[in-house]
Parts: sequence; structure tokens; C-alpha cells
Amino acid sequence: MKLRLKIWRQDSATAQGMFKTYTLDNLEKGMSFLEMLDVLNQQLVTKGERPVVFDHDCREGICGTCGMMINGRAHGPIGGITTCQLHLRSFNDGDELTIEPFRAKAFPVIKDLKIDRSAFDRIIASGGYISASTGSAPEANSILIPHDVAESAFDSAACIGCGACVATCKNGSAALFTSAKISHLAKLPQGRAEARARVVKMVEQMDKEGFGHCTNTEACEAECPMGVSVLNIAQMNWEYNKALLLGA
Amino acid sequence: MSVINHDVIIVGAGLAGLRAAVEAAEYCDVAVISKLHPLRSHSGAAQGGICAALGNEEEDYPLWHAFDTVKGADYLGDQDAIEVMCNDAPRAIIEMEHFGVPFSRTKEGKIAQRPFGGHTRNFGEAPVRRACYAADRTGHVCLHTLYEQCIKRKVRFYSEYQVLDICETEGVVCGVVTYNIRTGEIDVFNSKAVMFATGGFGRAYKTTSNAHANTGDGLGIVMRHGIPLEDMEFVQFHPTGLYRLGILVTEGARGEGGVLRNASGERFMERYAPTVKDLAPRDMISRCMYQEVREGRGVGTAKDYISLDLTHLSLKQIETKLPEISTFAKIYLGVDPSKNPIPVQPTCHYAMGGIPTNVDGRVVTDEKNTVKIGFWAAGECACVSVHGANRLGTNSLLDLIVFGRRAGKDIVQFVRETKGKMPVQKDADKKVREKINNILSRTKGESVGKIRADLQQMMMDKVSVFRTEELLASACRDIKSLRERAKNAVVQDKGKEFNTDLLDAIELEFMIDYSQTIIEGAYHRKESRGAHAHEDYPKRDDANFMKHTLCLVDEGGHSEIKYKPVNMALAERNWEYREKFVAKERKY
Ligand SMILES: Cc1cc2nc3c(=O)[nH]c(=O)nc-3n(C[C@H](O)[C@H](O)[C@H](O)COP(=O)(O)OP(=O)(O)OC[C@H]3O[C@@H](n4cnc5c(N)ncnc54)[C@H](O)[C@@H]3O)c2cc1C
Ligand code: SF4
Ligand code: FES
Repeated sequence: MKLRLKIWRQDSATAQGMFKTYTLDNLEKGMSFLEMLDVLNQQLVTKGERPVVFDHDCREGICGTCGMMINGRAHGPIGGITTCQLHLRSFNDGDELTIEPFRAKAFPVIKDLKIDRSAFDRIIASGGYISASTGSAPEANSILIPHDVAESAFDSAACIGCGACVATCKNGSAALFTSAKISHLAKLPQGRAEARARVVKMVEQMDKEGFGHCTNTEACEAECPMGVSVLNIAQMNWEYNKALLLGA
Repeated sequence: MSVINHDVIIVGAGLAGLRAAVEAAEYCDVAVISKLHPLRSHSGAAQGGICAALGNEEEDYPLWHAFDTVKGADYLGDQDAIEVMCNDAPRAIIEMEHFGVPFSRTKEGKIAQRPFGGHTRNFGEAPVRRACYAADRTGHVCLHTLYEQCIKRKVRFYSEYQVLDICETEGVVCGVVTYNIRTGEIDVFNSKAVMFATGGFGRAYKTTSNAHANTGDGLGIVMRHGIPLEDMEFVQFHPTGLYRLGILVTEGARGEGGVLRNASGERFMERYAPTVKDLAPRDMISRCMYQEVREGRGVGTAKDYISLDLTHLSLKQIETKLPEISTFAKIYLGVDPSKNPIPVQPTCHYAMGGIPTNVDGRVVTDEKNTVKIGFWAAGECACVSVHGANRLGTNSLLDLIVFGRRAGKDIVQFVRETKGKMPVQKDADKKVREKINNILSRTKGESVGKIRADLQQMMMDKVSVFRTEELLASACRDIKSLRERAKNAVVQDKGKEFNTDLLDAIELEFMIDYSQTIIEGAYHRKESRGAHAHEDYPKRDDANFMKHTLCLVDEGGHSEIKYKPVNMALAERNWEYREKFVAKERKY
């Protein structure tokens, strides 16, 4: 099959970017989207042009590295998957695809399709952990957790930090990402002790990083490849208000 | 040359590296260097679980766990290390729980456990529930949790820095040389202690369940410093990887009644294993599949895969019992498993061998276990050796957090006891700079991608699930010519930023070096043991080969093979269980 690719090219963080169009022939339907970019890069390199920079590693939907806007949708036209899980059979022969980096104020473009997601790291660093020491051997079964509480914490912990929620949100909000970590830890007894201090610090950091405010459009949930639920945002807001009322 | 200073440098941010960092960061200034963002490390891909004899679901003891590990390893595992690991396992899991890992739970709220291949109760009596898990995302949650613990302890991360060499002064390892992937700059780090946790090398094979970054750089680097690699010939293949992609299809698919078929639709396992058929052990099924393909009965236009047929199962059975397989098959291959068979191939999964270490994670350099001062290793890149000739499922994650922590503890002690820091040599980065300049200056030759593809295909054809004298001899010749070709490999991209072409060329050199140790180790091991199945020597030969291979390959491709004894602590101890740990035929 044949595809026309309109790809965002940007030399550096400070350079002006622009779209460039490439045409690829003889593509196979069974090929993955990223394999198609590999083919393009091979051709560019052979012609002596600079290959397109994009992030990827596991190519099985686990690591969260990949991610781009394809025809205006985060991770492409199919819901619930990562970019690396997208295949050319989802497109038609002759289609034109517009491929851009995830865009948000807090995610500056580094080069081409590669963005800087270190704002996520700083949100985690502000309090997304449990303070436990490595010293003494903890007691076995000192923490009993009901089955469904554990399941629910696990669902919150599914986030792979890809950034699709931010890219999809018209406000560029990181509420889904941040709330997933907050809820995961707040739901577990071992994480309760610091819950109030944690939510305040993480929400403040999120604002500091320049992410927008959540206006409950729920677009994030629809595009999240891991199915992280907006109920996490509700829990975050509840924890946050409680912390403000009762003190962190 | 500017030098960046830290007490401790850990290379690799998978579970092994992060667990060591958590330990060391309580007392020293620790930097973790990783070519990927830590959370993208391949440890995150582990699904099945992490085992420990907690006894939450039924009676279980570390001793039983040790027995299974020794036997699973086909008696090539070091028993001192296995004992340490199995005894420490319950503590290690509880600690992960306290750090915040959301393990799945039993009805009473305890950590749930499930059975896994090779794990048994009472010395092989029946399967036991020993694997702790967080649904099918155990690695992911463990990785995120340890990363948070590192952040909390102010570990300094250098992401997208690729280590290309270690610095050695007067025989002491005291730093690393890195290539900054974003800028193309070369930096030198100086530290009291260096630890490698660089993961596996599945990418040396064409079909693998490993991520793109699993190129085994660490193994190539250490050999340049005269450190041999241990037991490299033992590479685990999982029978059912998705065709071309290598992505895992769990054993459960066959447990539920799925069968393997060749091009003519024959259920060929009936021929090889009339009683257990499609539920024969992993290594055996992989061998049979390969045999079918080699004899021209593979499926597809290239006749290079096998069909995993689930079409006779009910739609409900597939949807309820095997949901993720059915989505995987649909997402990746566009195949609906209820209507069409899934194309599969054996996939390279895990490296039992690696950088030799002792139980404290210290790298050892010879058959006398002489310690290399200043240098530690843990995780899949290391060989302690707890997995011997064959790893049991869920024992790897355990290995990472147990020996990662032990290495971290040992490093702390070393850093405290050692006054001053060995400086790096003035021209520490010279070799790396020369290498890069040399590669970039080439103008005529083949592309790196082509040579790498040929290497991966060759390893798959000649050094994978089963081996013969003839295949291995021809692999020895092939690797020589690949080495020559690689010397002229041309990198088209001459830029500085994100030059993956250049990094591919460097990784290719490492790959060729350690691939040769796999080939040579296999060639000289004239027996069959665990993952090393040698058709010309189908039996295990304890009299001659109950020993670890140590193989060193130099820049020119000259190799040296030595052997070291297996630690038999449990079989030599004067106690009632002695008999259990003495080598015997491995039957299930
Ligand atoms: C699909 C799959 C499923 C699995 N499931 C299980 C399971 O259920 N249970 C189990 O016990 N085991 C399982 N395993 C095995 C287990 O996951 C791996 O053995 C383990 O994760 C390896 O961890 P590690 O810390 O050694 O390395 P990794 O997690 O691979 O990390 C390697 C690190 O080294 C860094 N690195 C590498 N080279 C360089 C360099 N040159 N410079 C800088 N940094 C570098 C990388 O960036 C990365 O951070 C599975 C493996 C796979 C592939
Ligand atoms: S919440 Fe979902 S979309 Fe957002 S970063 Fe996590 S996995 Fe990606
Ligand atoms: S490359 Fe890992 S999730 Fe896409």
C-alpha cells in the first residue's frame, strides 16, 4: 500500500518546526506504524537526509516511551492502544497521515517527534512515593488488604506515563497521570500515612510545571492506552480538598 | 576532559540497578546511568510474577524452592547462591509490599500466589502456589515502585546516557565513559564503585521477547577489560512468540487446549511426545518446532513459522480464559484466534549466562573467583549463578531484587572502608573517542542494519534451540566473517544528536563479541544440559561437564575457554537433605 506522511520536523528545542511530506510505497498492511517510520528513516539516511527522531523501545505497549499525534489523535485512530501497537491495516491505501509530537506547554519538543516529559518525573519526585526504610526486616502479613482494594490500587498503578492524556486534553492538564499515582498510593494502607501531604505537594508541582486545569472533559480517559479511569481524578480532588480542610 | 564525580555509579535502571541504588543511597551519593528513561527499562515487561515461599496459599518452604531451582537449573546453578536467594525471598517480597507494590490478594487480604512451571511442593511432589503477582503487570509495578524509592532517596539519574567503557586505573575499576545520546558528547564519570545492571541480550537473535535496548552492551564492555563471560551458551527460548515480533503468548494457551500445527495441519507434537504432546517442557517444544521448520514443514510463504491453533475452543473459553492473547493476536497480527490459527515461533527470552559474580555481586575474573576491585554486577547481565543451565519462571525478578540489594549493601561497606578515590586516567576517554571517530570516518561498506540482521539470523539458525557439531562449527566461521564485515560498516548519519545509527554500530561490535562466547561455549560443551541441547551429544555428562564455562574473546576475535567448578554447598553439607541436592536425571 501507499501512504503520504506529513511529519513534523523540528531541528532542536529552539528551532522553528514545520511539516514535511514524504510518500512511501510498497508498504505491507501487516506492518506496524513504527516499522513504517523505520522504513522511512532507512530511506532518508540512504539519501543522506536526517532521519526522523521518535521515541520507542519495547514496541509491545508496556514501556510508555512511544507516543505521537496521528491525524489529530493521541496514539492514532484506535482507542486503548499505544502508538507501537498501531498497524497499517488501520489505514487505507493512499491515505494521508499527519504525524506530530504530543503537544503541551509542559512537554517541550526536543527534536521532531520527541518531547521532554521530565515534568512527569518532577511530579513524582514531589511526593509520589511511600517512605519506608530498607533497614529492618518487615513482618510478613502485617498489612492485610482486601482483594478489591488491591485490585483498585492496581488499576490506578497501570499508568505507563506516556503523556497521551495531557496531549489529548484541551487544557493540557496532567490530572489523569497525577491522580493515578495519588490514588494508587492512597488506596493502600502502607501509603495512607502520607496521603495528605502527598496530594498537596503533587498537585502544587503539577501546577508549577505549567499543566492546565482539569475541566472534566474526560477526553483523557478515552485516549489512555491503559484504561486509567477518571474516577482517579475524583479521588485526587477529594483527597486534596480534605487535606486543605484538615491540614496536610 | 571534564570529570563527573559520584561515590557510586550504577549502570542500568531495571529492577537490579534500582534495587541496588535504593540500598546504597541510604548512605552514599549514588548516580544511576541508563540509556533509557528508568521507567522504560525492560524489567517493566515481566508479567508472570515473582516467587517466594511465603506459604500464603498453602504450605511452602524456602528449602523446597531451593530444590526446584537446583533441579530446574539442571544442577549447574551455584548452590550457595541459590540458598541465599530462596531464603531471602520472603523478606524481599514483603519489603516490596511495604514500598507500595499493589500485589494481588487472597480473600483474607494476604499476598496471593499462583503456580508456575517447575515450582513444586515437597521436592517435586506436585505444583505449588509460589508466584506472587500483580495481575499480569508484575514487572511494571515493581519497576515504578523502586523508581519512586530512588527518587525519594535523591538518587541522581542520568537518562539517555549510554555507557561505552569502564575506567580502570591500576587494575581498579573507578568510573565509566558515557555517550550522551541527546548531544553526542562524551563524558567521564569517576567513582569509588561501579555496578553493571545492563540487562539481557535477546537482541542478538532474530526473534526475541526482549526490547530494542536489550543489546547486552555491558557484556561486550567487560571483555575489553579481560573479564570472561560465564555460561553464555545457555540461552532460554520460549516456544510461543508471535511470528516476526517475538512477543510472548503465555503457556496458558496450550494449557487451555491450544495445539501446535505444521504446514500440512498436522499436530506434530503427537509424533515427538506421544503422551504429553503440546504440554511438553518449553525447551523440548521449541526444539520440535524448529525441527519442523528446518525440515520444510513450516507455515507461511517463507515456511518459517508454526500455527498455534485455538479455533476448536469455544469463543467463550478464549474470551474468558485467554483475553490478553486474543487482543494481542488481534492488535499485532490482525488475527482473530477464534477463527484463524496464531502464527508463532520460538522466541529468545532470557540469558542465563553473563558477567561472573559472587553472592555479594562482586565481579570475579577467573576460575579461582578472584574479585575485581571496585566492580559489581547484578541482574540478567550477571551470572551468580542461580539459574544454571535453565531458569525457572518468576526466579528472575527475585534474582534482581535479592542480588541487587546484596550488591548495594556490599558497595556501601566498600565505600565506607575505602579512603579516597582512585582517579581515572588522564586519557580515559581516548579509546571511545577513537572508536567513534573511526566509525564515523568510514565511507564505503555495508550498512550496520544489514550486518546486524545477518548476525541475528545466523544466531537463530545455528545457535538457538538446538545445536549440532556441524552448525556450531559453521557458526564459528560465520562470526569471523561478520567481525570482518563489521570493521567496515558504514554509518550514514554523521550528526551528533540522537545518532542511533552510530550507537547501532557500536552495539553491533559488542554483539559480535559476546555472540562468539555463546558459540564457543556451546561448541566446547559436548553434552546436553538445560537450554543447551546438543544433538550429537544428547545426554548430560556430569563427569566431564558439571562445570561453568568461562569464555573470553579479545578484539581480534581470539578466544580462550576455561572452566570453573559448580558450588555444591547443599549437596556437600552434612545434613538430612544432602541427597536431594545431588545431581540426578531431570524428570518431571
Ligand atoms: C516479556 C518478558 C516477560 C518476563 N516475565 C518474567 C516474569 O514474569 N518473572 C520473572 O521473574 N522474569 C520475567 N522475565 C525476565 C525478567 O523480566 C528480566 O530478566 C529482568 O527484567 C532483567 O532485569 P535487569 O534489571 O537485569 O535489566 P533490565 O530491566 O533489562 O534493565 C537494563 C537497564 O540497563 C540499561 N542499559 C543497558 N545497556 C546500557 C548502556 N550501555 N548504558 C547505559 N545503560 C544501559 C537500560 O537502559 C536499562 O535501564 C521476563 C522477560 C520478558 C522479556
Ligand atoms: S494516565 Fe494513561 S494516558 Fe496518561 S500518562 Fe498514564 S497511561 Fe498515558
Ligand atoms: S514502545 Fe513501549 S509502549 Fe510503545
